[in-house]
Amino acid sequence: MIPLQSADVLPQWTALAPALALATTALVLFVIDSIDPDSMDSGLLAGVSTIGALASAGISGWFLVAGTGMSRTGGAIELFGGQLVVDGMALFFMFVFASVLALVTVASYDYLEGQPHQAEYYSLMLLATTGMALMASANSLATAFVSLELASLPSFALVAFLKNNRGSVEAGLKYFLIGALSSSVFVYGISLVYAATGRLQLAAIADVIASGEALDPGVLGVGILMIVGGVAYKTASVPFHFWAPEAYEGAPAPVSGFLSSASKAAGFVLAFRIFTVAFPLDVITGVAVDWGVAFTALAVLTMTLGNFAAATQDTVKRMLAYSSIGHAGYALIGLAVLSGAADQSFALGASMMHLLVYGFMNTGAFLFVALAEYWGVGRTFEDYNGLATQAPIACTAMTVFLFSLAGLPIGGGFWSKYFLLVAATGASAWLLAAALIVNSALSLFYYSRVVKAMWIEEPDGSFEVSSYPTGLYAAVITAGVMTFLLLVGFGPVSATATDAAAMLF
Amino acid sequence: MAGETFTAYALVPAIAALPFAAFLVSLLFGRYMPKGGALAGIFAMGGSLAISIATLLTVAGILPGDPAYHETIWQFATGIDTFDLHLGVYIDPLSALMLVIVSLISFLVFVFSLGYMNDEGETGLARYYASLSLFSFSMLAFVFADNILMAFMFFELVGLCSFLLIGFWFREDAPPSAAKKAFLVTRFGDFFFLIGVVGIFATFGTGLFANVTRDGSTVQSFPALAEQMMNGQTPAMASDMLDIVGMSPQAWITVLGLLVLGGVVGKSAQFPLHTWLPDAMEGPTPVSALIHAATMVAAGVYLVARMYGFYALSPTALAIIALTGGFTALFAASMGVVKQEIKQVLAYSTISQYGYIMLALGSGGYVAGVFHLTTHAVFKALLFLGAGSVIIAMHHNENMWDMGGLKDKMPVTYYAFLSGSLALAGIVPFSGFWSKDEVLFEALIHGAGGNPLFLVAWAMGLLAVFFTGFYTFRMVLLTFHGEPRTETAEDPHGVRWNVKFPLAVLGILAATVGFINMAPIAKLTNLHIDFLHTWLGGSELVAEEFGTGLHHYEVLLEEVAGVSAAYPIGGEVTTMLASAAVSLGLALAGAGLAWSLYSGPEPVEHTNKLGGVKTLLMHNYYQDEYQVWLARDVTLPLSRAADRFDQGIIDGIVNGVSSVSLLSGDRVRRIQTGVVSNYAALLTLGLTILLVVFGLVGGWF
Repeated sequence: MIPLQSADVLPQWTALAPALALATTALVLFVIDSIDPDSMDSGLLAGVSTIGALASAGISGWFLVAGTGMSRTGGAIELFGGQLVVDGMALFFMFVFASVLALVTVASYDYLEGQPHQAEYYSLMLLATTGMALMASANSLATAFVSLELASLPSFALVAFLKNNRGSVEAGLKYFLIGALSSSVFVYGISLVYAATGRLQLAAIADVIASGEALDPGVLGVGILMIVGGVAYKTASVPFHFWAPEAYEGAPAPVSGFLSSASKAAGFVLAFRIFTVAFPLDVITGVAVDWGVAFTALAVLTMTLGNFAAATQDTVKRMLAYSSIGHAGYALIGLAVLSGAADQSFALGASMMHLLVYGFMNTGAFLFVALAEYWGVGRTFEDYNGLATQAPIACTAMTVFLFSLAGLPIGGGFWSKYFLLVAATGASAWLLAAALIVNSALSLFYYSRVVKAMWIEEPDGSFEVSSYPTGLYAAVITAGVMTFLLLVGFGPVSATATDAAAMLF
Repeated sequence: MAGETFTAYALVPAIAALPFAAFLVSLLFGRYMPKGGALAGIFAMGGSLAISIATLLTVAGILPGDPAYHETIWQFATGIDTFDLHLGVYIDPLSALMLVIVSLISFLVFVFSLGYMNDEGETGLARYYASLSLFSFSMLAFVFADNILMAFMFFELVGLCSFLLIGFWFREDAPPSAAKKAFLVTRFGDFFFLIGVVGIFATFGTGLFANVTRDGSTVQSFPALAEQMMNGQTPAMASDMLDIVGMSPQAWITVLGLLVLGGVVGKSAQFPLHTWLPDAMEGPTPVSALIHAATMVAAGVYLVARMYGFYALSPTALAIIALTGGFTALFAASMGVVKQEIKQVLAYSTISQYGYIMLALGSGGYVAGVFHLTTHAVFKALLFLGAGSVIIAMHHNENMWDMGGLKDKMPVTYYAFLSGSLALAGIVPFSGFWSKDEVLFEALIHGAGGNPLFLVAWAMGLLAVFFTGFYTFRMVLLTFHGEPRTETAEDPHGVRWNVKFPLAVLGILAATVGFINMAPIAKLTNLHIDFLHTWLGGSELVAEEFGTGLHHYEVLLEEVAGVSAAYPIGGEVTTMLASAAVSLGLALAGAGLAWSLYSGPEPVEHTNKLGGVKTLLMHNYYQDEYQVWLARDVTLPLSRAADRFDQGIIDGIVNGVSSVSLLSGDRVRRIQTGVVSNYAALLTLGLTILLVVFGLVGGWF
C-alpha cells in the first residue's frame, strides 16, 4: 500500500475523512428532515445513516491498512495547529465507532417502526458519533472538552427519545444531570491544569511539566484527578457510573448498545491520549500524581462492582448494563498497568483490542435485547425461557455474544481478555490479574443464566414470535459473525492495535 | 502466486478437504441420496487418492516440483513471545508414502462398504458414511500435519471417529460398550500425549516437525532444537525449562518422548493399553479394516516415525519402544493362537504386527519400520476385507468352527485371503516376509552392536514369528479348508463385485508390495533395488533443510543414541541370510504345525492339550481383569476421596464466595436507589475521597 496523506496522494485534511463523512451524513439527514419534516420513511433515513456509517468505517479501515498517521508512513498527522491529530489509534477508534453506529442504525430501522421524529433520531446519532470521532483525534484539552460535549448532548436526547415512555424520559434526565455534574468536574480539572501549566495542547503540557516550570504540584494534581473523573464518567467507571444502569435500561435498546459500546470507547480513547501524551508517567510521577495508581483503584473497583451488581439483577438489560460497567474495568487495565508494563504498547494495545471486540459483542447483545423488545418478550431472565425454540439463529448469535463477553473461546472476547491478562501479569500487576480472573469467572455465572433460559428452559408459551424483522436480524447476525471472526482472525487486529499504541510512547 | 509453476502440492490440502466435504454432504444430505451417501465418499476418496499419487510422484521427481514441501495454512494468533500455534502441511517422502497408503485403503474400504453395508440392508447408512469420511479426513490431515499440536488435534479426531464407528450398531449391547472402552483406553494414553505436547511447547516454543522457512527466516523444528540442546547450545527458553524441571537435556528429552509415547501406545494398541482393540471388533468389518490398516492404529507408529529425529536422541526411549514392541509382538501372537472367531484372530495379529513396527523403530530400523507399516497396511486391510466377505457369506456368524470348506464356494475371497495370510505369516516371496525379515535383521545387528536390550526384544519378536505362522494357518484351514461344518457354510451367501474388486486389488498388492525393498536380494546382487531405502533417504532438500531425512537419523542414532551395527554371523551378507532363513524356518514351522493339527476334512480342537495355559490365553492373560481391578478398586476410591475434597472444600469455598458475592451484590444494588441526588452526592463523595487520599499521599496540603 502506498502512503496516502504523507506522500501527498491526498491532501492532509482528508485524514479526518471518517469524521467528516459522519458530519456530512448528519447534515444530509437534516436536509431530508427539513424537506419532509413528518417523514416516516425509515428506510430512507436508516439507509442514509447506514451508508454514512459504513463509509466512515470503510475509510478508517482503508486508512488503517494504508498506514495513515502510522509511524511507518511518517507519523501522526496534526491538523489545525495541532488541535486535532490523526494517528493509528484515532483511526482504530473511528473504525470502532462507525462499525457500532452501522449496526445500530440498521437495527433501528425495525425498532423505530411507526415512531415519529426518526430523522432527529438518526441525525442525533450521527452527531454523537462525530463527537466521538473528534474525541479520538482531540489533541488539546479544549478540543477534548468540546468534542466530549458534542458526543454527550445528543446522547441525552437519544436516551429520552421515547417521549411517552416514563422510563426513557426519567433515564434521560438522570443521565443529563449526572452528565452535567461530571462535565463540570472535567472542565474544572482542565482549568486547573491550564492554571498550573499555561497550556492546553497535550504535548505542550507534558513539555511544561518536564521543564519543571509548572506552577504547583497540588493544583496540577487536583486538576489531573478531576480529568480522571471526567473520563471516568464517559467510560462509566466507578464512582461516576451511577448514570449508566439507569440510562442503559431506560433508553431504547439500540441506543443502549450504542452508548455502552461506542460512547464508552470514546471515553477510553480520550483517556489514553490525554494520559499518555499530556501526563506521561515518566514525567508526571514524582511531580504531581501517579495516575497509574488511581486507575488501578478505579479498575479494580469498577470491574468488581459492575460484575457483582450484574450477578444480582433480574432483568437482562440491566444485567447487561452492569456487565458493561464491569467491562470498563477490564479496559482500564491497559492504563493501570502502564507504569510497570514491560511492553507499554502491548498493554495499551490490549485495551484497544478489547474495546474493538467489545464494540461488536456488546452492541450485538443489546441489539438482541432490542429484538426481544420488538417481539414483546418480557424483560426478566424467565421471560427468555425457551426463546431458542422460536428463534434459534438469533439465540445462537446471543450465545456467542454472552460467552465471548465472559471470555470463552467462542468469540474474539477470549483473545482480548487473554491479552489483558498477559499485559497485567507482564507488569506484575497481580491484583489486577486476580480481579480480572475472579470477575470473569463470576460473569460466566450470570451470562450463563441467559443462555440457560434461552436453550434449556421450557417455553411457557406466553409469547409468539410472529415476524422476523430484517434489519434487527441482519444487525444481530453481522455482529455475531464479526465476534466469531475476531476469534479466528485476531492476528491483524492485535498487530494494528499494538502498532497504533506504540506511537504514543 | 503468478510466475510460479503449478505443482501437485497446491492441491495437497484438498487431500483432506475432499473427505471432509464428503462428510458434510453425507451428514446433511446422505438420507436423500442413493446408496446413503456412499458415492460422495467414494468420489472424494478417489480424488484424494489421485492427488496423493500425484504428490508421491512429485516427491519422486517424476512430476515437476521440489522434492519436499511445506506450507503454513492457518496461524491461530500472533502475539509477542507467544507459542507458534498454526496448522500447516508438510510433505516429505514419509508423509507422501503414508498419504497414498491411507487414501488407497480408505478408497477400497468405501467400495467394500457398498457390499458389506448397503447390500446387507443396514440402516443409518448416512451416519456410517459421514463418520467414515470424517475418519479418513482426520487421518489424512494427521499425516500431513507439520506440527505436533495439529497432529494431536487430528489424533483426537481419529479417536472420536473410531468411537462413533465402533459403536455404530448402538442399539445392541456390546458395540457401545466396546466403543466406550476404545475411547477411554486410548484417552488414557492421550492424556500423557497432551502433557507431552504441552511440555514440548513449553520447552522449545514450537511443535514443528521439520525446519521451515517463514517470512524469509528459518524456524527450527523441535527435534532440531533438541539436537542443539544435546550439543550444549541450549536455547534460552529451553534452559529455563530445564532449570524448572532440574534435569539434564537428555533426561528431559527422554521424559518428553515417553509422554508422547503414551499416546502412541494407546492408539497403536501396544501392551498394556492394547485391551481396547479386540473389543473394537464389534464395529462393522470395513471399519475394522480401516482402523487396523490405515487409520487409527497406524497413527501411533506413524507419529514415532514422524518425530524420529527426536526419539533418536534418547537411547532410553528407543530401548523402551523396542522392548514394548518385541514384547507386544510375542504376547499378542500367543493370544491369537486360541481364538475361535476369525476377527479376533486378526485383532491379535494386528496388535502383534504393530509390535514389530515398534520393535523396528525402537531398535534403529527406521526403514524397516516404515516398510512393515506399508506392507502391513496392505495385507491387514486385505485380511479384514476377506474376513468381511466370509462374514457376509456366513450371515454374520464369525465363529471359525462353524465354517470350513469355503475354498470352493468363494474362490476370489480364498485366493486373496491366502495371499494376505502368506504375507502375514512371512512366507517368501509375499510382502510380509521382506518387511518382517528386515525388522528382525535390524534388531539383531543393532542388538549385536552393543545393545543387549535390543537382542531381548529381537528374541521375543523372533519367537512370535512361529506363533504368527501357526495362528494364521489355523485360521485359513479352519475357515476355508475341510468339510463345511454347518448348513450356512454349505450354502454361503454370495458376494458381488464391490466386495471382490477391493479383495483382488489388495490380494495382488499383498503379494507384490514387498518388492519395493528386497534388501537381502539387493545385498546379494549389489543391485540398487532397495527402493524404499532410497526413497526415505530423500533428497538433499529433505535432509539438509527440513532435517527429516533418513541419513540424518542414521547419524543421530550412531552418534547420540549409540546405536551401531555388528554382524554376529560372519559378514553382513551371511548374517542377513541366516536371519532370513531362521525367520522363514520358524514361520514355516508354525504353519506346518497348524497344517498337521487342523488339515483334513474334520479338524478337531486341540486347545485342551494346553491345559492351564489355555485358560490363561483364553482370558487374555487377565489383562482386562486387572485393568478393571485398577479402575474399580484403586482409581474409584481415589476419585471418591477427590470428590469428597471437591464437594466439601472446593465447592464449599466456591459456594461461600458466591453467597458472599451475591450478598454484596445485593448491597451494591441498594446503593443504586434511583434517586438522582443520591447519585450526585455519592459521585462527589467518591471524587472527594480520591482527591483527599492522593492529596495526603502527595503532600499537597
